[in-house]
Amino acid sequence: MNESTQSTSHSSKLLTLTDNIGKIIRGKPQEIKYVVTALLAKGHILLEDNPGAGKTVLAKTLAQSISEGVADHSVASGGVAFKRIQFTPDLLPMDLIGSYIFDEEKKDFVFKKGPLFTHVLLADEINRASPKVQSALLECMAENQISAGDTTFQLDKFFFTIATQNPIEMEGTYPLPTAQLDRFFMKITFGYVSEEVELDIYNNYLAIGDVKGTVHQVLTYNDIIGLQQEAENIYLHPELVKSIVKLVQATRHHPEIALGCSTRGGIIFIKCLKAWALVNQRDYVIEDDIRALAQPVLHHRLIFRNREASKVALQQIVDQEVNRLAKLGITTKK
Amino acid sequence: MRERLVQLLIRWLFVVVPTAIIGYVTLTYINFSYTAQSSSIFNQALFFSSGLLIAYSLYFFRIRWVVTFILLWLAYWMVGKIIVKLPGEFDVFYATAKFQLYSALFFLGWIFGFLLVRVKYSYIILFGILAVATLVVVSSTIDISFSYILLHLVPVITYGLYMLFVSPMLVYDVEMDLKKSGRLLIRFSVFVLLVFLAFLLVGKIFTEDLKAVEKELVARGAKDEDGKEREKKDGGYDQRYGLMDKPDKDDGYKLKDTMKISSKMSQSDQLMFCSHINNFFPDGTPQPLYFVYHYLTKYDQAKESFIRDANVPYLDEFNADPSEVSIFHSKQDSSVIPNSLGRKLRKVVESEVYLSSNTWKHALLAPASAFYVQSIPVEKDFQKQFLSAYKVKSYASELNNAYFVYNPSANPMLESFQEERYNELRTVRDYHSVDTAFYNYYTKVPSGVIYDSITNLAKKITTGIVNPNDKVIAIRDFFLDRDKNGKRIFRYTLKPGSPSDPNIPNTSMLSDFLFKTHAGYCTYYAGASLFLLRSIGIPARFTTGFATINRSDKNKGWYWFYASQAHAWTQVYFPGYGWMDFDMTIGNEDQQGAPKPDGTPPLPPPQPWLVLNAMTNAAPDLTKKRLDITFDNMIYFDEKYQLKNPLSRVIDVSMCRVLYDKKDTTLSILSAGDSVIIVSYKDESKAIPRPKRGVAIESQVDDFPSPIVADEIHIKPKPKAEKQDNAKNDQQKTEEKSMTWKEILMLAAKIAGGVIGFIFILPILFLLYLVVKTAFAKNDTDKADRIYQSALYQFHMAGVERINETPLDYARTKVDPALHTAFQEFMTVYLRLKYGKGTLRDGDSEIIRRFASNFGPAIRKSKGFFKVGFNYFNILLASRYFLQSENNEYEN
Repeated sequence: MNESTQSTSHSSKLLTLTDNIGKIIRGKPQEIKYVVTALLAKGHILLEDNPGAGKTVLAKTLAQSISEGVADHSVASGGVAFKRIQFTPDLLPMDLIGSYIFDEEKKDFVFKKGPLFTHVLLADEINRASPKVQSALLECMAENQISAGDTTFQLDKFFFTIATQNPIEMEGTYPLPTAQLDRFFMKITFGYVSEEVELDIYNNYLAIGDVKGTVHQVLTYNDIIGLQQEAENIYLHPELVKSIVKLVQATRHHPEIALGCSTRGGIIFIKCLKAWALVNQRDYVIEDDIRALAQPVLHHRLIFRNREASKVALQQIVDQEVNRLAKLGITTKK
Repeated sequence: MRERLVQLLIRWLFVVVPTAIIGYVTLTYINFSYTAQSSSIFNQALFFSSGLLIAYSLYFFRIRWVVTFILLWLAYWMVGKIIVKLPGEFDVFYATAKFQLYSALFFLGWIFGFLLVRVKYSYIILFGILAVATLVVVSSTIDISFSYILLHLVPVITYGLYMLFVSPMLVYDVEMDLKKSGRLLIRFSVFVLLVFLAFLLVGKIFTEDLKAVEKELVARGAKDEDGKEREKKDGGYDQRYGLMDKPDKDDGYKLKDTMKISSKMSQSDQLMFCSHINNFFPDGTPQPLYFVYHYLTKYDQAKESFIRDANVPYLDEFNADPSEVSIFHSKQDSSVIPNSLGRKLRKVVESEVYLSSNTWKHALLAPASAFYVQSIPVEKDFQKQFLSAYKVKSYASELNNAYFVYNPSANPMLESFQEERYNELRTVRDYHSVDTAFYNYYTKVPSGVIYDSITNLAKKITTGIVNPNDKVIAIRDFFLDRDKNGKRIFRYTLKPGSPSDPNIPNTSMLSDFLFKTHAGYCTYYAGASLFLLRSIGIPARFTTGFATINRSDKNKGWYWFYASQAHAWTQVYFPGYGWMDFDMTIGNEDQQGAPKPDGTPPLPPPQPWLVLNAMTNAAPDLTKKRLDITFDNMIYFDEKYQLKNPLSRVIDVSMCRVLYDKKDTTLSILSAGDSVIIVSYKDESKAIPRPKRGVAIESQVDDFPSPIVADEIHIKPKPKAEKQDNAKNDQQKTEEKSMTWKEILMLAAKIAGGVIGFIFILPILFLLYLVVKTAFAKNDTDKADRIYQSALYQFHMAGVERINETPLDYARTKVDPALHTAFQEFMTVYLRLKYGKGTLRDGDSEIIRRFASNFGPAIRKSKGFFKVGFNYFNILLASRYFLQSENNEYEN
């Protein structure tokens, strides 16, 4: 009884969160959900699109919705710290991590924490920075810790990175290698909004701008930790686990795919599925979730043999699994 | 690697082993039909399977085929070389031939293995090859029947179905989940059972029709061609064989069943048969007898032809088919003796008839009043010339012989014989004592101008003659008359020509012959004399058969019959003496041809000491050359015995000839339950127990050697349901045949229609299945599940197809907008049941129930009852439903 009320309260909070973001980011409910899913799955997300599609705004709005103020370092009143780093080619790792500086008073080197020490990190245009910087970021994303000199600093257990990048083909970019892309739970392409939504945006951009400033914090730090806990407890039916196995296996055996999905990829997929179900107000995963998440979670982990395959191969594999599941009846219980 | 090995093992079990089994079965069929160099089927199958297995394993690990094929070829070449070079301890030729066979099989297995691994749907190719091989084998078997074909095709068909539907799933599921494959196996067995039931049902429904087809196939084969040919011949009267025709392509020539007085006739010198007639004058002069084929007692006035009549008073014709009398067995019809209506001067004459291979073997050719026929073997050296032989006994009149017209005064002895005959027959003065029906039947003359003039002519010829015999002689003399210049008025010719004026109605060949042209062949003379005799009240009948000519005295009693000797003549009835041959045909004065030679008479065949009429207990042991039989009647030193209890004996068949339908065959065609006749000849090399008088036959049988050495085994042909009905004329037969072909087509159409119809109702049957399944749901969860399956199918069949969407998307984006159902609502509940922790909440049952009762009507309302109903006959639509999950395969 207690648990169910708690879960409904969490669910309603989630709804307000997505609604909140939706007020700013028009016509992108799916993408908003993806970002929230990555958040709840304790992962990180990479947004990829041309400049001006609203990536940064989304990230900022999310951060605002869960933290007290944009530039607030403290974790007072259950708020969440948010930092934003604009990646440029001349950025150095120490600009992220921080560095030892000489404290005149103490006559000693004191570590000055860089912007990575936060809860929500917006890494803008990540592919414009040099690989050195990229790997420094990715290390702390994977390990949740930062090594500076001979000391290792532990990050908070809630550390969420929203990275954005421009399409690889654009000038002045250092493309992220697949091995590093793997660290991101999801990679979503933003895409332009539809005609009607765009019209709506143009008509109301002043109003939207106003709202931007007044985004309220709807979730506290504890709420997020609680939701992350809840996401882990979402029920995943054995048949679906089997399905994920088949899916992952199929990516490895598909003739058009050069590099299939890793086991880590599979685990991440499961985490995301659970979080996604929670975002969609369910306490169990269904085949629609697989269909919805296969592209953002798995696509950037695979290396395709040709451009054509990168569009259809994963789709084929998912279609087959979906068709298999659709034909399946209710299997004998557990 | 280990995983790959496990996969290979699974495939061995579910793909390779079934293929090896079906290969073994097919090889068995082939070996039974064609005797290979060595018939060790097991070894053959072993080579085939090893090729299959090795190739499958190699290619499973993705070894390049070019390399392996080259290596294989090299190995083959090397081994072949080595075997040839081996010292001559064993026969090199045999070794290489055997090697060839085995290597061919190995290679075949290799290719099968390669196909199975590398080519998608290759089992369809394999199934095709195997099915064709089986069909070829089956069709080359002598005894073809529907059930036989079915029985032989069942393994191949089962294999095809298995490979198509079960084996891929089995392989997949065993790799994934062992438990499910068990369920799948059960489903497969049920499926096979259903297929069998369907076959049985088809068999049951069409039994009669199929039997007819079977009969057709067995009896006629490919004969429609021949039928056309025959029609042409009959129409043109141009055939080489004159009075003969050929009823069957594979059969020999026989006399026509109808004799027509026609404008032209040609003859051939083909030997038809030879015969030994054991009929001599007391001084040893051979007394030949004409060979009767049929009595043509009915007359078709319009066509001027003589045909057989089914209802003849006192028919003394023995209607037997010698080819259906088993060897050494006999058949008799003792009713012939009283029906011959004459006891005076009769005796029983025995004759042996050897039929040449171009003679029709189904009709009895024998001297008049034959009543007994026994099938006898032909001595080995003569078997090429004479296909079969039989012995006949005739109740012959001493007054009949073949010298009546031919050679009327060549031999004083014969002349005196003829005088004697006339004197005997002159004792007959009238026909008062004769049965009226019989008399009327045989003196019937059709009415008409022509027949009136014939009657007048007959009266003119026989004016003042009282005695029937003298009247007959007067008519004979009429044909022998000469004109003022001493030249014969009547002529014998094979080409009498057409009627003088075809425009005048009622012109008839017969009256032309008698009154104008005076030229014709035997049918003319026989026909004319028949009506001349009948018109003056003398019973006569038209007879066809062969004229017997005694050409040389070298082999006394032996006569040779050529196609040109086919003949027609009249028989005249004399009360007390029976039917007498009167051949009125005059000699052909123009014929200058050299007399045809007599051949060498066949040697008497060996005499059997034992003939067993037996049933085989089992198929013969081909290695030990033994055959196990049971018999209950036998012929032992020409005595026939019927045993009280059937006895079993072992037969030594090592030296044995095997004959089927008088043609050589091999032991391997024998199986259990065949009826056979086992013959053992008298031979010095055998210890033959002599029959003992007064000893019970059962105890004599005990003294028989064991095993009994057999010289010949005659396999009895399976009785044909359709007996050759000789009374039917050719025309009727052709009609009948075209009818049956039509029937076969109809039957084929019926079966095809049935199958297609069945396919068309399959979607509805599946719907029924789903609906019934829904009705019998155990609980709400179960019910939801079944409703889900049923609804998916019904939505699909309503034309709303799910194409790769998830069911929930399908509900939201397609079904509900198109059909106005509450599918999405139901799906939410269903998905919770399916993937959630699985407990029903309040209201769920209500939603399920509401959806269950509403979605059907909603479909009908949105799409229209008839459109939806019509969709259920759309096979393409339905098949898309069943193939949905398969069409996304990307594996190679």
